[in-house]
Amino acid sequence: MNTTVIDAHNISKVYNPKTIPVYAVNNVHLHLTKGEFTALVGPSGSGKTTLLNLIGGLDQPDSGNILINGTDITRLSPSQLVKFRLKNIGFVFQSYNLIPVLTARENAEFIMLLQGMTKSERDARIEQLFRQVGLEGLDNRRPSGLSGGQQQRVAVARALATKPQFILADEPTANLDSKSASNLLDVMYKLNQEENMTFIFSTHDQRVIERAKRVITLVDGRIVSDTAEVNVMEAHKADE
Amino acid sequence: MILQLAWRNIWRNPVRSLVIIISVAAGLFAALAVLALYDGMMISRLRTVIDTETGHLQVHDPGFKDDMEPRYVIKNQARWAILLDKDPAIKCWSSRVVSSGMLATPSGSAGVQVNGINSGKEMPVSGIYGKLLRGLGNSSEQVAVSSKQSRSVDTGLGLTDGRSILIGRKLATKLKLSLGNKVVLTMTDKDANMVSSAMRIRGIYESANTPLDELNVYVSEKELAETLGVPGSIHELAIILKSDDSVSAVQHRYSSLFPGDRVESWKELSPETNLMIDTVDLYSYIIVIIILIALSFGIVNTMLMSVLERRKEIGMMAALGIGKKRLLLMVLTETIFLSLVGVPIALGIGWLAVSYYHKNGLDLSGMGEELMKSFGYESLIYPTYPSDKIPAIILLVLISAILASIFPSLKSVNIKPAEALQK
Repeated sequence: MNTTVIDAHNISKVYNPKTIPVYAVNNVHLHLTKGEFTALVGPSGSGKTTLLNLIGGLDQPDSGNILINGTDITRLSPSQLVKFRLKNIGFVFQSYNLIPVLTARENAEFIMLLQGMTKSERDARIEQLFRQVGLEGLDNRRPSGLSGGQQQRVAVARALATKPQFILADEPTANLDSKSASNLLDVMYKLNQEENMTFIFSTHDQRVIERAKRVITLVDGRIVSDTAEVNVMEAHKADE
Repeated sequence: MILQLAWRNIWRNPVRSLVIIISVAAGLFAALAVLALYDGMMISRLRTVIDTETGHLQVHDPGFKDDMEPRYVIKNQARWAILLDKDPAIKCWSSRVVSSGMLATPSGSAGVQVNGINSGKEMPVSGIYGKLLRGLGNSSEQVAVSSKQSRSVDTGLGLTDGRSILIGRKLATKLKLSLGNKVVLTMTDKDANMVSSAMRIRGIYESANTPLDELNVYVSEKELAETLGVPGSIHELAIILKSDDSVSAVQHRYSSLFPGDRVESWKELSPETNLMIDTVDLYSYIIVIIILIALSFGIVNTMLMSVLERRKEIGMMAALGIGKKRLLLMVLTETIFLSLVGVPIALGIGWLAVSYYHKNGLDLSGMGEELMKSFGYESLIYPTYPSDKIPAIILLVLISAILASIFPSLKSVNIKPAEALQK
């Protein structure tokens, strides 16, 4: 049975509402289940990042509700939202955004410390994660001593560290060469396949789109196509 | 992790951090130098007051201090002498006959306080003979008369003949007097009759307190008592104790034993010195606070730059769930580290510098020896390391660091992750 992870209803985000309103996200409905490997695609300015920010609780919608595992995050206070993000959502950013003064291991450990995990728990988890993302032996290197692909894999390890409900990845391959991008996608795809981890990407990268099980296309803040709906419709047609 | 992160963060831009650390160290060193100098000056002033001006304690008849009438002599003089001689807390003491008078010369006159001293007993109490610049050269004992000279001084002491007088350099200059000159000393005796004595200047002294040098003249105790019509009597006992700490105890003991006499400590005899010592700490802390406020602006600026440079990173940390409290703590810890790293440097260099000058003295005569003496200060100061004030200084640095961190901290917690992470 597919468990609902994200259930967004009628969400909108408007910039400059009092002057010239710009709808970054316009009346979007989104339903994602556990284990999805979803790509949000669309031209620049279509609202992909804004939608990811809204789902990730980094920004508040002007209307609508976003339920994550049944919790309406639009009703949470800022401090509750911080705790919610810490426990439930993993983030991977385009430009890695690692803390430069911390080693690869400390970067991944950082979020576990925020969650109050014990040292033995952290050690075990780091060992597992670094093996999964292929960073064995690079624990003590600082970001400046890692390649872009390695840095992004540290970011993935960090996002996974606290076993979140899903991972939001904003253009994760945009700054990587093709080989690194391909390796990173392999890592994430493997995590999705083996651990049923839910991934939502915003991307322009065709390689990501090709790997995605579901592709949602946004234009001017609206969902103009969703392969899941096509698949459902095709399934219905097949049933008929 | 926050501590580790904060420590590493301050070394991201080592040059900028070092500039602030050196500024804090330099500012604190300056504050320590001021405190050490103040402490040294206060100790010097205190020693001048106790060792040469008032002693630890003085005893008078209660009526004497009002208008210095010769009739107010100390009763039970013999009993006082017996008790003081036997008291183990007392280092030395001296009796004095004191009167106000007029010193006249052919070229002018001046109001003076005439001190009749017992030469043998006075030397260890006020050290007056140790301050002689000129005179009393007919005898036998070598006494240091200034910081650079020593002279042959008659400790017997030339004041026994009833015609000899010691005057201060300031008074001598004012009245254009020199050794051997004659002066006429006019006073009022115990029956309110005007009495005059022609005297010859046998010595000119100079102490660290110019106003007192202008006021005080010294004559023979015995002769002065006879002149005032109170032969064999005294008006004042000046007492030096073995320890500065026993002043109150000894004062209370003798006040109880001699309720008819007034026993006063140096604090009552020189209230301005007491006030100065009490308030100098306050002034010292005000100076430290002013220095720290100035430094705080530099720290605020540095921390603000540091926070704004890391806007995206802080936004990322907020996105991951670091929370406002931890962000505040991180910026606060960075500010405290930045502020405190300079403290041991300042304390170390300060200690070395103060130790050197404490041993060798800091000669401030070039900055106005006369001016310093007019306020009762020696020009050679021995600064004292203000160890007792170090905890307070560190606390003040901490407080200023916390205050300096407020603005950058607020900036950091107000960073919105979604905006900061915009590409």
